[in-house]
Amino acid sequence: MEVAGLRGFDIVEPSSLEEAFGLLGTGDPAVRPMGGGTALMLMMKSELFKPTRLVSLRKLGEPFHGLGESADGKWVRIGALNTFSMLDHSPLMKSHFPIISRTMNTLANLRVRNVASVGGNLAHGDPHLDLPPVWMALDGEVRIVGPSGERVSAVADLYKGYYETTLEEGELITELRVPVKPDWKSSYTKVTTRAAHDWPAIGLAISVQLSGRQIQDLRIVLSAALDKPTRLTAAETVLRGRDIGEALLREAADAATEEVELETDNRGSQEYKTHLLRIYVTRALQDLVSEAAPK
Amino acid sequence: MSDIRTIRFTLNGTKVSKVVEAHETVVDVLTRKFDLSGTRESCRQGLCGCCTIYVDSNPVSSCLMLAWFLDGTDVRTIEGLADGDTLDPVQEAFIEAGAFQCGFCTSGFIMMVKHLLSENPDPSDEEIRHRLAGNLCRCSAYPEIMDAVKIAAAKARSVAKARP
Ligand SMILES: Cc1cc2nc3c(=O)[nH]c(=O)nc-3n(C[C@H](O)[C@H](O)[C@H](O)COP(=O)(O)OP(=O)(O)OC[C@H]3O[C@@H](n4cnc5c(N)ncnc54)[C@H](O)[C@@H]3O)c2cc1C
Ligand code: FES
Ligand code: FES
Repeated sequence: MEVAGLRGFDIVEPSSLEEAFGLLGTGDPAVRPMGGGTALMLMMKSELFKPTRLVSLRKLGEPFHGLGESADGKWVRIGALNTFSMLDHSPLMKSHFPIISRTMNTLANLRVRNVASVGGNLAHGDPHLDLPPVWMALDGEVRIVGPSGERVSAVADLYKGYYETTLEEGELITELRVPVKPDWKSSYTKVTTRAAHDWPAIGLAISVQLSGRQIQDLRIVLSAALDKPTRLTAAETVLRGRDIGEALLREAADAATEEVELETDNRGSQEYKTHLLRIYVTRALQDLVSEAAPK
Repeated sequence: MSDIRTIRFTLNGTKVSKVVEAHETVVDVLTRKFDLSGTRESCRQGLCGCCTIYVDSNPVSSCLMLAWFLDGTDVRTIEGLADGDTLDPVQEAFIEAGAFQCGFCTSGFIMMVKHLLSENPDPSDEEIRHRLAGNLCRCSAYPEIMDAVKIAAAKARSVAKARP
């Protein structure tokens, strides 16, 4: 079937960064880098995006590939071109970040996971995606290279708004780095309201450092119902340093629902999603605590 | 600049080459330029599985992939499963269970099931349903498809046992 979005463009496959920057830096927003291409193909088919040139990253070599621990064991480095399936099958990921395999379980289907890349997923900027909030809860950082040099950004700082990132023209994410924190536990809850494999009405990524029932430190990241994945810092402040109990959970859920204004869409009204947030933030925290410190 | 190229790859065990344009999807090229009609396009967005093929042994949706990127890969389609006139055990199982009505979705299901059984020879109902959640059958032959997977798994296990 002929689709206008799939017409009249070039594909280039640079083999060095310099060459890539040259091909990307044209000032034309219809020139884009391509990782797995799953998001781009959907946008091209629905004619949301009509490329003039696709710059495939697959021949760029080492800086975009590989998955391994840093020499001191404090970080895991994930090349941007790793597919979701590669993460899912990695014993290193399973032992340090079991949350990733669990999240993969409800993410797309195997055929998409075999192709979609970590970097493309981070750069896409769709607030409904499941992994960006998880990387944020894990304190992930990305390494970005561009014509004017290299920089490091917290995953949290990649997002400006709805499908809007802080990546400048020509900038590429080469890798994700995630700190290894053996004494933290994390979970992701994908709350769907229409069908199990739908996009989430809300996504909730939480990581906690516990000592018994006391929360030493934590991250709560909400996605899908907002224009970008967002830390719920007021709720975190309520919880930090305190013992988990019913009254505290109620206080935290109040703070969480007050600090954000959720959007109404076809997955639920603002009121409904606020109700979901209250329930799932409570449930996820309870589960994390009882998993770590059974009564 | 390049909007046309010759790709070289292995298709069902045979080395092939073809001139493709940048915008052509893999399913388009298989159907139109290789006359392989077993890989079908339905949803066009990765959701239904009708267009499933293996690229380097991994199942992918050929509607979401540009043919350009097949260069250098090893591709298997439904046409490459049978050994001459001998059907693959998964294909036989689908026939035995009557796991189709119109048959449009069948090659995609068979490709996914064969891959599942290669990883997990004895999947539970839950594991089967989970893996096939990304495949849609508009005739709703789902109960028969579940039967077919179990028949195929049993066949594969008995073949494995028979091997010395
Ligand atoms: C059927 C289907 C179901 C899906 N279900 C889910 C789901 O349940 N949950 C979920 O979270 N997601 C889901 N997705 C979305 C999927 O996660 C994204 O499409 C995918 O992560 C994008 O990765 P990619 O490598 O294919 O990106 P691409 O399409 O290659 O690129 C996406 C964007 O990032 C840019 N880009 C790519 N790589 C880089 C880089 N290294 N540096 C800078 N910019 C880059 C591109 O220019 C483009 O703007 C689904 C997709 C499909 C097709
Ligand atoms: S046509 Fe490709 S997955 Fe539906
Ligand atoms: S048999 Fe008709 S779509 Fe499945």
